[in-house]
Amino acid sequence: MRPVGRLGSAGLTIYFWLFVVFLFAPLAVLLIFSVNSSPTPTLPLSGFSTHWFHEAFSNTVLTNALVRSVFIALVAAVIATALGIMASLGLMALRGRSLSMALTLLLLPLVVPYICLAVGLLILVEVLGSGPSLIAVVLGHCVIVLPFAILVIMPRLRSLDPAMNEAALDLGASSFAALRLITLPLLAPALVSSGIICFVTSFDEFAIASFLAPSGQPTYPVFLYASARTPALLPEVIAVGALIIAGSLLLVVLAEGGRRWAERRLVGLTASPEAAVSTAVSDQQAVPVAMLND
Amino acid sequence: MASTAVDPAHGNEPGRSQRAVAKGGRPGTGQLSLVALTKRFGTFTAVDAIDVEIPSGGFFSLLGPSGCGKTTTLRMIAGFEEPTSGQVLLDGQDIVRTPPSKRPVNTVFQSYALFPHLRVFDNVAFGLRRAGVAKDEVTRRVGEALELVQLSGFARRKPSQLSGGQQQRVALARALVLKPAVLLLDEPLGALDAKLRRQLQVELKQLQAQVGITFVYVTHDQEEALTMSDRIAVINHGRIEQAASPKDLYEEPANAFVADFLGVSNLMDAAVSGPASVGARVSLSDSFTVDVTRGDVGLRGPVKIVIRPERINVEPADSQGSNRVPGLISNIVYLGSSLQLAIQLASGHAVTAMVPNTGEEAASAWAPGMLVSCHLPPGALRILASDHAGPGQADPALAGTAADLSPGNQG
Repeated sequence: MRPVGRLGSAGLTIYFWLFVVFLFAPLAVLLIFSVNSSPTPTLPLSGFSTHWFHEAFSNTVLTNALVRSVFIALVAAVIATALGIMASLGLMALRGRSLSMALTLLLLPLVVPYICLAVGLLILVEVLGSGPSLIAVVLGHCVIVLPFAILVIMPRLRSLDPAMNEAALDLGASSFAALRLITLPLLAPALVSSGIICFVTSFDEFAIASFLAPSGQPTYPVFLYASARTPALLPEVIAVGALIIAGSLLLVVLAEGGRRWAERRLVGLTASPEAAVSTAVSDQQAVPVAMLND
Repeated sequence: MASTAVDPAHGNEPGRSQRAVAKGGRPGTGQLSLVALTKRFGTFTAVDAIDVEIPSGGFFSLLGPSGCGKTTTLRMIAGFEEPTSGQVLLDGQDIVRTPPSKRPVNTVFQSYALFPHLRVFDNVAFGLRRAGVAKDEVTRRVGEALELVQLSGFARRKPSQLSGGQQQRVALARALVLKPAVLLLDEPLGALDAKLRRQLQVELKQLQAQVGITFVYVTHDQEEALTMSDRIAVINHGRIEQAASPKDLYEEPANAFVADFLGVSNLMDAAVSGPASVGARVSLSDSFTVDVTRGDVGLRGPVKIVIRPERINVEPADSQGSNRVPGLISNIVYLGSSLQLAIQLASGHAVTAMVPNTGEEAASAWAPGMLVSCHLPPGALRILASDHAGPGQADPALAGTAADLSPGNQG
């Protein structure tokens, strides 16, 4: 039973490779030009050089922005994952209409354009009198990444046997001890996934950071946006871009390895968080709708 | 609630090597009373004001079909569900307000609920560590508990590296190591295959006798309940239908539901037409009447009558006498030690009869399509109130008879 003929099959193959090229060509271009010696990214290539990497890392404005973004993303990821655990535990107690209402509320930032949130947050910090600050950026990022944390953690929590928690209570554990000794270790793979997704989303975020970061303290995307229009800086930006791609790949490999390791420790649990992670990452719009209709 | 004298003596035999594990089984403790215990979920009443006495040191089963409220009852004893009203008295103390972690009651879950990230040793040690038991004693007691369930060599395994039966034993060890006053078991053998089930039934019963702890066992499997229990409460629709010893339940079922639920038993719709010389005269149909001496012989009107398959005497078609109904053999199942005959009675009822396989002749004496006479001895027939609709089919042949009789004059 072949669903497509020979011609169709060839067509699908071509389509597949076009798709791959479409996805990865920009990344490949970045990698190639990062080691090109010419100061302008034009063909033909002029020669191999690691010069721009040295340049980039001696540019303190650039490295400061990078460190700032990493730091903000780490803090936002930790806070959002912690809040995500609590929210998911709370949501477990709800059923029916109250569940979908609470979920809608929590996942709303997914469907609100970040630029609107950014304007709103800016007005809020001005009204409160604190003005733009890195703390405001962290809090803004917590708002937008919390839905991702919930979308990753909640399915995992639901897949756990409720009797597990009851068994811990039955054996004399307090509610907190049951959470610490049983539920959290069993959630570990989801917590790792949540942390990574939240980190990457926050690291990447431009709109909120550009509104809320104080002038002179840009996050990396904000710095990038400003410098991409300064031709002199372009080669450095490309070099850092290439490094970030490499770093992301490493992170994904490490995370997958770590997740498998955690899964092996927990063998016997049926559900895997992969599905949740991939849906949450790939399709921001569809996921909340599906969850809300749940 | 009639409470038969319970014999906890088997739990108190001294000199058993494992007695040290289960000091919780002190005589005179672990006595549970459920008083007017009720649980409602919204408008649905899962458990309806049940009163049960669960004697100390015995093996007590809550038996009933799924959704009957037996698991909810167990969860109220464990503390996972809060009763809507009523009391759970453990050795006279109401424990309804005590959180599960503070109750001297432990549970073996249907899914076992072993902690998958902890080794067998740490699973069993979990409760002891929560209780702040010293490290040396934890090691000693976990060792004893694993020995008790014959899993001494498995302490370093993860639960996923064990078979279903072994996991079940770990769950048992994990609960017993805390020396609870009462051990609750929620269909713990449900996930195992038939052979292993039977083996573990015997082991579980022996274990209970050994440790002397009160076991409260939830099951929907009547055979399991009959095999293991000292006492059984049959539950249906959140109410206790009957609580008695296995023998009494089997021999003297209080109603049609119990008779039907406890196993193969012929339930027939009938109507009591009046008193007989002894017992009552019962119409099976317009043309067939039998005398019944057991059960609720004072009832009048539509009833169920019940007879066990092994109590029906299958005779040649020409045999004469009272309490005989002609029938046609529709099917024969060879069971080895006995033959199971499916017989269509002339009264319209389909019954099952067991004939002992006494030899070559007995085995070949009957054949499908053969006309026979079924002798239903008056002492083997029981009258049960028919208000509990069991799966006993309404009989069209009887419809006219039943309609003539007012339903108001029962009892």
